[in-house]
Amino acid sequence: MNLTISKEQLISGLQAVQNVVSSRTTLPILSNVLLRAQGKLLELTATDLDVTVVCGVEANIKSEGATTIPVKKLFGIVRELNNPEIEIEVDEKHMTSLRSGASFYKINGLSAEEFPALPKFKEDKRVTLPQEKVRGMMKKTAFAISTDESRYVLNGIFLSLKEHKLTMVATDGRRLALVDEEVDVTEGSQGEFIVPAKAVSELNRLLQDKGEVEIRYSENQAAFNLKDEKGASTLIISKLIEGNYPNYRQVIPAEPKERVGLPREEFLHALRRAEIMTSEKSNSVKLSFSKNNLAITANSPEVGEARESLAINYKGKDMAIAFNPKYVIDPLNALTNDEVFLELIDELSPGVLKINGPFLYVVMPMRLS
Amino acid sequence: MFRVILHLDMDAFYASVEQRDHPAFKGKPLIVGAAPAQRGVVCAASYEARKFGVRSAMPSSVAKRLCPDGIFIPPRMARYREESDAIMRLISGTGAIIEQVSIDEAYLDLSAAYQRDDADASLAAAQPQAAALKEQIRAERQLTTSIGIAANKFLAKLGSDFQKPDGLTLIREQGKAAFLRPLPIRSIHGVGQVTEKVLLQAGIETIGDLQDYPGDLRALVGSFGPVLKRFGVGEDDRPLHLGEERKSISSETTFARDTEDRKILRACLREQAAEISAKLKHGEIGAQTVQVKLRYGDFTTLTRRISVEEPLTETADIYRLACHLLARDRLVSRPLRLLGLGVSGLGEAVFRQLALPLEVPGRRLEGGG
Repeated sequence: MNLTISKEQLISGLQAVQNVVSSRTTLPILSNVLLRAQGKLLELTATDLDVTVVCGVEANIKSEGATTIPVKKLFGIVRELNNPEIEIEVDEKHMTSLRSGASFYKINGLSAEEFPALPKFKEDKRVTLPQEKVRGMMKKTAFAISTDESRYVLNGIFLSLKEHKLTMVATDGRRLALVDEEVDVTEGSQGEFIVPAKAVSELNRLLQDKGEVEIRYSENQAAFNLKDEKGASTLIISKLIEGNYPNYRQVIPAEPKERVGLPREEFLHALRRAEIMTSEKSNSVKLSFSKNNLAITANSPEVGEARESLAINYKGKDMAIAFNPKYVIDPLNALTNDEVFLELIDELSPGVLKINGPFLYVVMPMRLS
Repeated sequence: MFRVILHLDMDAFYASVEQRDHPAFKGKPLIVGAAPAQRGVVCAASYEARKFGVRSAMPSSVAKRLCPDGIFIPPRMARYREESDAIMRLISGTGAIIEQVSIDEAYLDLSAAYQRDDADASLAAAQPQAAALKEQIRAERQLTTSIGIAANKFLAKLGSDFQKPDGLTLIREQGKAAFLRPLPIRSIHGVGQVTEKVLLQAGIETIGDLQDYPGDLRALVGSFGPVLKRFGVGEDDRPLHLGEERKSISSETTFARDTEDRKILRACLREQAAEISAKLKHGEIGAQTVQVKLRYGDFTTLTRRISVEEPLTETADIYRLACHLLARDRLVSRPLRLLGLGVSGLGEAVFRQLALPLEVPGRRLEGGG
């Protein structure tokens, strides 16, 4: 294998794949990136066996071939090179020579044959969507993914492709984020699956605002093929979380008593400030609604107290409800709308945050102390 | 406030109770513990037996060799507990704040009663009451005790050991570092065989050597280093542990026959979880860590633990996490002799955060017989 490649191209390829490599792997080959030179492309692949990322970048290939080398070492060297052009040559002993200007490196590698093969798909359910749409939906739900490993079905985003709708749901058992969008999906490609948090975070990193993503999925794995306008592509393949996602519809409250419009930015900043006055022991903020006013208060004996006042349009009866501030800040951070709506029943029932659009967020309150 | 701490230690407690109850044993080398022919150890030895070098925790066979005329009797724990309760009642008559360390040992904090112009005057003022307490225990229980008086727990314990049996030692604040200098490092509570060996190898034989040691003790004894350094100069600010504050609650089952039958194991865990949950609820506390303990047929024993954010009290939650631990690491790979479940990280059970009414499936103990 022998090729020349621009520093810029190689870095963009390495950046796309190197994140999935675990630093605590017991299999040495999993610390390596698979380099395959073919046609006009250098294809880079990295995997932790759960999530695999493949990225193709343009290169000037003199002779085709493949090898694997430690990705952190390669990335570390390339990032610091001065010269914009890099020549890569691999000998039959998997020794990679790197030449760039006055720099010369030899890196020990392992045979490409030892690298785990890409998972194969038998049945192929597929749908193609704009990347921007998928990215936006993931951003609006990912923050609610549970990190409690004992409730592993919640450790990812639930995707449902049904009745011309793509729905994404994430919950940690205390709050739940849901977003759905109209999509074109054929009868045969309908289905549901749970994408694990690690794949979600890779997707959040790699999805762009342009181009399309083709999603293919089967019983236990899914592939996301990200194609930009120029035709270059990045492929993310992930194992799926096996198990039944809980019936989330049942936790969405039916009839709110009050619906309050709130200026998102103002509300968000007030909460962020008030949060500073919470502590591990008193980790709640209290929202007190009265005529045309929302008071946000936080109070922890060992830290101090906060009081924020927001002018709002509220005509309902006075009520107070307490939330973990993080659980309200998270969705407000993920949204971009000017106005959000908070629907409430009473101080012990779930609150619902909505926008003028396909988004719904259910959050359980905290008992007022 | 000047601290006035007493450490009270019953002299050769089990043996002394036996000698009192059985006048025939008085003045004889009495060894409470397993008979020499059995594989057990010595629980306690009278001072007459100690002259021969008999110590507690020594194999009875060794004790027999050292002291061939020793009288071996089995321990009567219920009797000692009863005696301990009677003595603790006398101690609580002093009005001190009390930390009972074990069946025959307690710390008393008398700071509130003896505030004088300086630290040493305060200690000296408490001496008559300490002497009176010793006399009262002798008169009412016919047993001797040793008491150390000092400004902290470390020195008080050192003091009670200083002139055993029937001792009363006051360690003054002034000159305490000099007082400590000639003592062997082994006399520091917490320096056991292993630590002693490490210190001796570093040339530290006396507390004086410890005081003069120029290096970082952490390199020798890890996190114990800073504490050891402070003990070396007689400094210790540990408070008394009050009440019967529990650090963990656990339950273990040894099976009549080794088993890997999932049904039996599940039933066992559920029962243990229920027992633990009942204790948590009784104490109005919650636990943040769940631990399982497994012992296989060959006595290989291992434990696995998991911590959660919110305190647990419910049987179902404790059971779910226990199953998760077993399933996650596939621990039931062969028949178990013993299965244990425990919780720690105990604290106030505050459930201020309400949960969504979701039914989330947990891992199950699958497969096997």
